[in-house]
Amino acid sequence: MRTTGLTKCYGRLTALSDVSVRIDAGEVFGYLGPNGAGKTTTLRLLMGLIRPTAGSAAVLGLDSWRDHVEIHRRVGYLQGEVALYGKLTGRQHIEYFCHLRGDSGQSGAIKLAARLDLDLDRAARTLSKGNRQKIAVVLALMSAPQLLILDEPTSGLDPLVQAEFHAILREHTARGGSVLLSSHVLAEVQRVADRIGVVRAGRLIAVERLEELRAKSLHHITARFAGPVPGAAFANLPAVRDLQVTGLVLTCTAPQSALNTLLKEVARHDITDFECAEAELEETFLTYYGTGAGHAA
Amino acid sequence: MLHSVGVKTLYDQRRALIAWSLSLALLVAMYVAIWPSLRNQPSMSDFLNQMPKAMRSLFAASGADLSTPVGYVQVELLAFMGPLLLIIYSVAAGASAIAGEEDRHTLDLLLANPISRSRIVLEKLGAMIAGTALLGAVTAVALLGEGHLAGMTLPAGGVLAAMTHMTLLALVFGTLALATGAVTGHPALSRAVPAVLAVVAYIVNGLAPVVAWLKPAQKFSPFYQYSGHDPLRHGLSWAATLVAISTIVLLAATAAAVFRRRDVAA
Repeated sequence: MRTTGLTKCYGRLTALSDVSVRIDAGEVFGYLGPNGAGKTTTLRLLMGLIRPTAGSAAVLGLDSWRDHVEIHRRVGYLQGEVALYGKLTGRQHIEYFCHLRGDSGQSGAIKLAARLDLDLDRAARTLSKGNRQKIAVVLALMSAPQLLILDEPTSGLDPLVQAEFHAILREHTARGGSVLLSSHVLAEVQRVADRIGVVRAGRLIAVERLEELRAKSLHHITARFAGPVPGAAFANLPAVRDLQVTGLVLTCTAPQSALNTLLKEVARHDITDFECAEAELEETFLTYYGTGAGHAA
Repeated sequence: MLHSVGVKTLYDQRRALIAWSLSLALLVAMYVAIWPSLRNQPSMSDFLNQMPKAMRSLFAASGADLSTPVGYVQVELLAFMGPLLLIIYSVAAGASAIAGEEDRHTLDLLLANPISRSRIVLEKLGAMIAGTALLGAVTAVALLGEGHLAGMTLPAGGVLAAMTHMTLLALVFGTLALATGAVTGHPALSRAVPAVLAVVAYIVNGLAPVVAWLKPAQKFSPFYQYSGHDPLRHGLSWAATLVAISTIVLLAATAAAVFRRRDVAA
């Protein structure tokens, strides 16, 4: 899957601006950003539900707008705000969409439903949000498509079901399938993604491999010392930011990759308290990429 | 039962269709039951004749004569109540076809399947045609069957022709609702546009005989194609049928063409 300069405007509002990204076979791509950043717009462009204002997207070598019928045959899509037919049961949804997809067997869907612990015989409108989400997950995955395009797939799912869902995704990529998954929480994407793209205010501001991103992830550190320390001792540590030493307290921000040297320096003194907390992803990205002036390839 | 978009749409309406069918059969039964007490009342015919011309033209159709079964059915059912009910059903079905799914956010779910947008428009149209035709057929059967039981004999050919034209009339406005929904995605607008146009078309056709400047516009009213040639007495008009079907085809083609090209609301 590859997008080139993908742009979507609604009147004067630019929902997505010049996004170019590529996802390879067998890869899980996490598409990360705050709500309203343009994640859903990107996924709906890829599905041919909306038409690009400029640029284009190729999904499995097909044009996302012109060839959407063929794309839909090979792609499983889960919409962000799951909406089902209230009067139909899970089983009826499966039956209906199997017919529309030209799938003869419903056994795959039934197995998926069992793994997610989903009751298929209740009308969708009587189900909880989590159970409706499970139906939507089953519908997206049941025909074993090559590519999964999933918009906030685990919203409303409890942790046990999330774990099972992630196991299903890993089986999918082990078979050579790819996944594009959007989320506004890093923790979720961290568990499954190989690469992460970050979108902010309609622009793709970064694409990173997960391990690189981990190394960069900022930590807020507060250390309280037993006696006075010379601030200069910490001033020259590489990659440490916002260093402040006031009285007996040191505060600073450091990426994960700098924690080792920082800790060793801190440990040379007697400490009474130490705190280290991972910063919000947004802060990490703002630190490295500013407000999104440039964007990664 | 859920083999295609069209069949699923009818499946969704199964209870509504049963209720509509029963209501129409009951309505016809009521009219049939009242007739014996009306037919020997010359005062009713006098009342019709004494109505202002414009009024009679609007609500009683040509050659209204309550003392014969044909005249009675024309005034009571064909002139107003029958078309009104069938149009309500057809417009509701047409408005919910695309705009309804879009409004309930299920259109993304449906469109994610390997099925073209034109196909969805066509299948929804098919379901609307089937539903409206069913109600037209139920009314025809009720008129003939219940009329026969009550000794109110109607010409079978005339009844079938009249109900065919009434079904087509309803479908013209139903397809307009579907097309409005396919173009705009707004269910309320999709009901309002055909409703307003139906009222205008009804008034134009009804008042044209008494208002000279409306006369040229009358032929464009779907109500004229429905009743202008008096189908209960003179049977099917191929010309009127052709005009109605062409209108439906044109509206459906527009619906599919625009729906294929536009963004779908999330």
